[in-house]
Amino acid sequence: MSEPAVEIRNVTKRYAGHTAVRDLSLSVPRGAVYGLLGPNGAGKTTTIRMLLDIIAPDEGTIRVFGQPNGSQAVLDRVGYLPEERGLYKRMVVRRVLRFVAQLKGVPGREADRRIDRWLERFALSGGERDWGNAKVDELSRGMQQKVQFIATLLHEPELVILDEPFSGLDPINAQALKDTVVDLKREGRTVIFSTHLMENAERLCDAVCIISHGDKVLDGGVTDVKREHGGSYIALAIANGHGTNLSAVLNDASLVRRCDDSNRTFEIELADGADPQALLRRVLAAGTTVERFELVQPSLHRIFLDKVGVASRAPGAGPWALGVEEGMSGHG
Amino acid sequence: MGRLWVIIVREYTERVRTRWFALATVFAPLLLAALMFVPPWLASRSTASVNVSQITILDASGSGLGKRIAAELNGGIAGDTSATRVLEVAPAGLAAAEAAATRDVMRGGAKGYLVLDALTLAGERARYAGTNASASADVEELRRAVRQEVMAVRLERAGVDPLQTSALIKTRLRLDAERITSRGRAGSGEISIFFAITVSLLLYFSIFFYGQNVLRGVMEEKQTRVAEVVMSSVPASRLLDGKVLGVGAVGLTQLLLWAVAAFFLLKIRQPILERIGVEATPITLPDLSIAQGITLLIFFVLGFVFYAALFAAVGAIVNSEQEAQQAQIPIVLLLAGSVSFIQAIIARPDAPLAVTLSWLPFSAPIVMPLRMSLIQIPTWEIAGAIASLAVGCYIVVWVAARIYRVGLLMYGKRPTIREIARWVRYS
Repeated sequence: MSEPAVEIRNVTKRYAGHTAVRDLSLSVPRGAVYGLLGPNGAGKTTTIRMLLDIIAPDEGTIRVFGQPNGSQAVLDRVGYLPEERGLYKRMVVRRVLRFVAQLKGVPGREADRRIDRWLERFALSGGERDWGNAKVDELSRGMQQKVQFIATLLHEPELVILDEPFSGLDPINAQALKDTVVDLKREGRTVIFSTHLMENAERLCDAVCIISHGDKVLDGGVTDVKREHGGSYIALAIANGHGTNLSAVLNDASLVRRCDDSNRTFEIELADGADPQALLRRVLAAGTTVERFELVQPSLHRIFLDKVGVASRAPGAGPWALGVEEGMSGHG
Repeated sequence: MGRLWVIIVREYTERVRTRWFALATVFAPLLLAALMFVPPWLASRSTASVNVSQITILDASGSGLGKRIAAELNGGIAGDTSATRVLEVAPAGLAAAEAAATRDVMRGGAKGYLVLDALTLAGERARYAGTNASASADVEELRRAVRQEVMAVRLERAGVDPLQTSALIKTRLRLDAERITSRGRAGSGEISIFFAITVSLLLYFSIFFYGQNVLRGVMEEKQTRVAEVVMSSVPASRLLDGKVLGVGAVGLTQLLLWAVAAFFLLKIRQPILERIGVEATPITLPDLSIAQGITLLIFFVLGFVFYAALFAAVGAIVNSEQEAQQAQIPIVLLLAGSVSFIQAIIARPDAPLAVTLSWLPFSAPIVMPLRMSLIQIPTWEIAGAIASLAVGCYIVVWVAARIYRVGLLMYGKRPTIREIARWVRYS
């Protein structure tokens, strides 16, 4: 277990007009759930494609399970769910799955057994209709996503790579995906997923790497990252809409350095030396009904905004000018 | 089981299982059967063409020639000549009679009229006007009947016994042309041209159709992003190889099924025609040696690989059906260009044009088999054409694989020629 599942060293990938990934190094411990975070266009997909040897880096090395990542033996131990999903539309579900499994070296008969198990697990067979015998394009979008997910896991990979797995999922499938990721971790598998949705990363990841414009901004265990970020943060939730009184409190620079106002919830960074109790008293005095007032570590969301905003802020432009907000507004 | 094999099997089985494959496989032999049985059967049903006998004969020759021709057109003296109207007219009244006959034809009273005069009897000319004047078979039949009967009249005038005359002039001589090659007599010349055209058109359509099939397959994989899933398991080149080989195997299967069906149909043609009482010239196929058969297969396989690789590259570049239509035009022109020369090559299979085209990789798979079926080609020349095609394939596949690998992951805007050139150089 000493060797990391993935070791990326000084990897650079350039395209005609720009550098997609610049001198990136990161290490994914075995058995971890690892988040690759960054706004759209940060280089997440390029990194994942290089990791899978779909494209080759211009510089640097990538090792998976201690071996060069291009070897067939390594690729057979990796499962991949691309960002935009699709399967052969006119093929029968079972045949597609069998094909994908065989491409990973699973013998046909063994693949058939596993397919039956997975279809049942995802409620695609055993009901009034066995969707395994239907063509892919007869399936609803949600069912197609399930099939694609099965395709990723059929060969029981030790390393599972999910590119933006939550995008486009309805809440039910998103929950099922989250459960599966937790199961995979419990089985000792390593999961890497890219996302721009911080809540998912916050809930699931053991470690993260934030990249922006091809550069690594920070990486490490989620708890370490939060501790290093420093500062004292308060999570505040209120029942009634806030009035001017509360705004006055939150704008008091002696108490609050910064506040992320989401209407009914607030992430507040305390000013240096400010007393949280004093803030609570002031908030209550403003006539607010408090539902939650908790001393917390900064959220990944906060850290992300700080880091990505600072790392690449153009003169005169806030982080919002960088498309970060667009990246944050998706639904998990 | 190798991964390449997994891909080939998918490409092959998914296509063979489709309805169009079954339809095409059955339809082509049906068409061939129709071509083999229907024309002889129709011919046997209409020995005396209805059109040809439904005419008016204006006979100004004063020799009874008109009556004789009418009899000949209706199956001899014993035939029913009521369909053919014979008007004996004086040379002076010919113009008026013609005008009347024209009106009659316009009203639909007859199909046309035949004018016989002294010039006809002199063996110089007869005239025909009618609605079927452009039907070459009818005109040919008329010409034959007129010639024969003019000959008879002239023989009789020269003093030959009438009975003897009719026996002498009844010849329906047929000229069968047969090809001779260094391997001996090689069957009917006409059939060998027919065979040559069939072979080259079949190669053309198969390469075109299955090449397009590769293009659509690549496009589907790109659009649905299946390509990315596959490429996370095996290198892109493996996917390309598997697709080309799998689709090629489907084409080969179809061609072989057609060949077997054609062979079988030719075997049973004569017995069946005899049973339904139709007399027909037996079709002697140019006897195809096994070596020639294998050579044809090699040309199909290499030609297919050449064009399939190009079509695959196009499929990887484009993002939509419309873009594909445009981007494939150069390739289609290359392929169709070879076919457009078929006529010229049949006329002069040994001319420099034909020889050059049979050596160029993009036209060799169509032109060389065409020439091979027409004339004797030295073995070294065939081997050379195959070698040239193989080298062409190697280069095209190498270039196409590079375009393919990069193009599959590029979405959005269609790349320019310069960008594509860069992919080839740096990927």
